Amino acid sequence: MTTEQLVFYVFASFVLLSALMVVTIQNMVRSIFLFFVTLFSMSALFVFALADFVAITQIVIYVGGVLVLMIFAFLLSAREILNDPPPGKPGLIGIHHLPGIIIAVLFFAVLAVLVYQANPEQIEWVKQSGNDVLRPTDNTIHFIGINIMTRYLIPFEVVSVLLMLALIGAAHLARKERKV
Amino acid sequence: MTSPFLFNNFIIFLSLNVKCFNCRLYFLSLQLYSIKLNFYILYILIAVLLFSFTAVFALFGVYAERKVSAFIQDRIGPAETGKYGSLQTFADILKMLQKEFIVPQAADKILFAAAPVIIFLSVYMGFAALPWAPGVVPASLNIGVLYVFAIVSIESIGILMAGWGSNNKYSLLGGLRSVAQVVSYEIPSGIAVISVVMIAQTLDLQLISMRQGISASETIKFLGFWDVSKTGGFLAWHIFQAPHLIVAYLIYFIASLAECNRAPFDIPEAESELVAGFHTEYTGLRFAFVFLGEYSMMFLVGMVGVLLFLGGWNTPLPNIGSLRLADWTTGIAWGILWTLLKVLLVVGVQMWIRWTLPRLRIDQLMGLCWKVLTPLAFLCMLISGVWRLMVMG
Repeated sequence: MTTEQLVFYVFASFVLLSALMVVTIQNMVRSIFLFFVTLFSMSALFVFALADFVAITQIVIYVGGVLVLMIFAFLLSAREILNDPPPGKPGLIGIHHLPGIIIAVLFFAVLAVLVYQANPEQIEWVKQSGNDVLRPTDNTIHFIGINIMTRYLIPFEVVSVLLMLALIGAAHLARKERKV
Repeated sequence: MTSPFLFNNFIIFLSLNVKCFNCRLYFLSLQLYSIKLNFYILYILIAVLLFSFTAVFALFGVYAERKVSAFIQDRIGPAETGKYGSLQTFADILKMLQKEFIVPQAADKILFAAAPVIIFLSVYMGFAALPWAPGVVPASLNIGVLYVFAIVSIESIGILMAGWGSNNKYSLLGGLRSVAQVVSYEIPSGIAVISVVMIAQTLDLQLISMRQGISASETIKFLGFWDVSKTGGFLAWHIFQAPHLIVAYLIYFIASLAECNRAPFDIPEAESELVAGFHTEYTGLRFAFVFLGEYSMMFLVGMVGVLLFLGGWNTPLPNIGSLRLADWTTGIAWGILWTLLKVLLVVGVQMWIRWTLPRLRIDQLMGLCWKVLTPLAFLCMLISGVWRLMVMG
């Protein structure tokens, strides 16, 4: 096993273990900080897929933005609620988990079928690309920028309009009540 | 006595480009391949070098801060320990190493212990992408600017961890204030940086510094009309290539003060209201790590500003006729010297401001960020686009 593979498996096991612990751990605040480990290791996996831009974006948006907002919501709520979780039945396997287990198994089945039937060697554009593969030294951000500004311009603009709507909505909600 | 050979080896160690993301190997690092050295030992060596640099800088920075504050307030400052009190910070760190780890009874022990490490590591990892001289960069990434911004934003997770883990109302309030401030000020500083990236057309910090001096591969113009590709010096720095970048640098500098939680933006640790903010409960080595993170952050934001706006490792001396000052003062050793001098100057200004200006109130702080700096930064970004298209052709 090469060093790269070793590092990959280390990060992959980090992702799986921490994700499992995020779900099972009783202390809510610790679980949200463990989620940070999951997201950070995920970005390491993106680096292995030669998608370094995606990896950095993952850190900027999920760690620097979404996670900080989630922690903020926790810190502003009362400590008693977080410290004493409502009494539930312990254990990972039990009848009360049945809906969750069914959804998880079905989703896993869908994924397994997809992976089994994908057959990436036979896809048309993969065959056409031939030896034209991405190397670790390639600079991908120029292609990403050009593609966003040409081929994917409409989705890009639609997303920006959506974000604009969210901003206006947030500003409206935060505004002072007008006295009638 | 350090022999010149040893010094050469030291430079070669530094010039190794760690292959963690996309690497572009520079001319100097090619020498490495002729020397059969174990790469993993080199990785560790570079990491240790950077760590010891941040530690030495923190020691020096704390001493300088005391002397600067004493000068500004017409005091003497540390004077007893060593000549001119120069051993004061060493004595302090020795004291801190001996102190007991005190963990409050009600604290969340894991989060409390992990927070200082995360705060320091996030800043320390940012140093990995910063170039020191031509060809001398720990890890040459072609998305270096973005990487530094992403990795530094992790610091706020560490601050929240410390604030929550201490289980102390002052710590919690300090942590909340700090993160609210850092997240808000990331916006104007990010936009100011984008206005540089639009002019430079690259996110690689080494390429950005290269195009601000005599090693530029394209034609660069002072204020957009005078070709200074061969003249170099301070005339070729980004702030003089496009004058609106002076405003962008001021915005970046103000925002970086807020990101370091330094006065006049130090409401997270306002000692008159919050004792010491998020690090109230920390003692000994853990407190030392929080402080190390803070001082490394000062150097890091100063260095990013120098690289993006003030010419990076390029010399401030221009070529004047047959007086080839810029040609003579460009090189690896000169590059490291210029980087250090410029960053220390910026750090000096940070200290000067801290001991001169009073603290801003929270509403003034947010008003400055959202009503003044952010619109100005957007204006700079707009001018950058027009400048790139109309003036630079």
